[in-house]
Amino acid sequence: MAKDDESELRARLEKLSGALKAQRPAPTPAVRPNAANSSDSFGSAMSLGLRAGSEFVAAVIVGAGVGWGLDWLLRTKPAFTIIFFLLGVTAGIWNVIRATSSKGAPPDRNSRLSAGEVGDKDVPRGAPSGGDEDEG
Amino acid sequence: MATEAGPAINPIEQFSLSPVLPISIGGHDLSLTNSSVYMILAVLIACALMAVGAGGGAGVPGRVQALAEMAYEFVAGMVKSAAGEAGMRFFPLVFSLFMFILICNLVGLIPFSFTVTSHIIVTVSLALLVFFTVIVVGVMENGLHFFKLFVPSGVPIYILPLVVAIEIISFISRPLSHSVRLFANMLAGHITLNVFGGFVVMLLSAAGAVKALAVLPFAMTIGLDALELLVAFLQAYVFTMLTCMYLNDALHPGH
Repeated sequence: MAKDDESELRARLEKLSGALKAQRPAPTPAVRPNAANSSDSFGSAMSLGLRAGSEFVAAVIVGAGVGWGLDWLLRTKPAFTIIFFLLGVTAGIWNVIRATSSKGAPPDRNSRLSAGEVGDKDVPRGAPSGGDEDEG
Repeated sequence: MATEAGPAINPIEQFSLSPVLPISIGGHDLSLTNSSVYMILAVLIACALMAVGAGGGAGVPGRVQALAEMAYEFVAGMVKSAAGEAGMRFFPLVFSLFMFILICNLVGLIPFSFTVTSHIIVTVSLALLVFFTVIVVGVMENGLHFFKLFVPSGVPIYILPLVVAIEIISFISRPLSHSVRLFANMLAGHITLNVFGGFVVMLLSAAGAVKALAVLPFAMTIGLDALELLVAFLQAYVFTMLTCMYLNDALHPGH
């Protein structure tokens, strides 16, 4: 059923793109076509930059917040705030590494192969292996 | 912020909520606000687009149909590339989110309209919806195996607690960054537009030759408008993309 739909859709899309090429693809270019080529590099770079910044800040805030909450619960005023703030910074850097190293996914979204691997590679690839060597 | 002479310009005013249809049930204020109206409008636009787009099925698609199919194919491609074929189960959720955010962002760019996504409460609810969907689906699909998400493989036991703590913080920070990004971008963009628009008005109300200077902020406003159009699309895209990636974690934790 799903397969059938898929092939039908694909055939329809091919027809559609052919027809679109023949005509002019006038309808609101804001939604997609341009994102694929010209503005894509700028757009994806911008979105990645915004993403990296917010990921980092969010992790630091959450880390400090968790620490502050633990301190409030256990009445150990500065201890957990300090520890979890530092953990938050680490998590933030980790987030940024993750966001930037899986960068292949958003722009190459057309190639199924690379995108499939990104999620899997994501965890083992980056820091842990590098970190192990330093520690061990 | 009430001003001295000249036109009053308050860049924050555009975000104020005002009840359109006051409703009060049991002492709770459940009024239909301008925000709700624009949300309903966005949903109606999305529904109309899809209904008209899917209705015809003409051999050579018209504009609306092409737009609807493009939107479908775009989101479907995104879901498949980020979460695999199994992720297509979440397509309705992801597509609804994408269309809602995109249309809210775009409608918000129309002068005098209200930008729903510039309120953090809206973006937080959307982000928390995704967050809890990930947790619930992850636990339902994988049981306790879902929590392998916090335990990367191949980490020596003595630094494992540290890594797990970091992973958990990183996981909890997701809805925060997810929502703040969308909210902050829309808020900042609209304030900037408003401020530069305000400069034009202020300079025009100035005396004599100074009026000519109004061209500069006006040109800036035009440029910013184009940028905001890009940001409106981009933020909807980024929100949806991250939703897919998070859902992928729910389906395939660990590895």
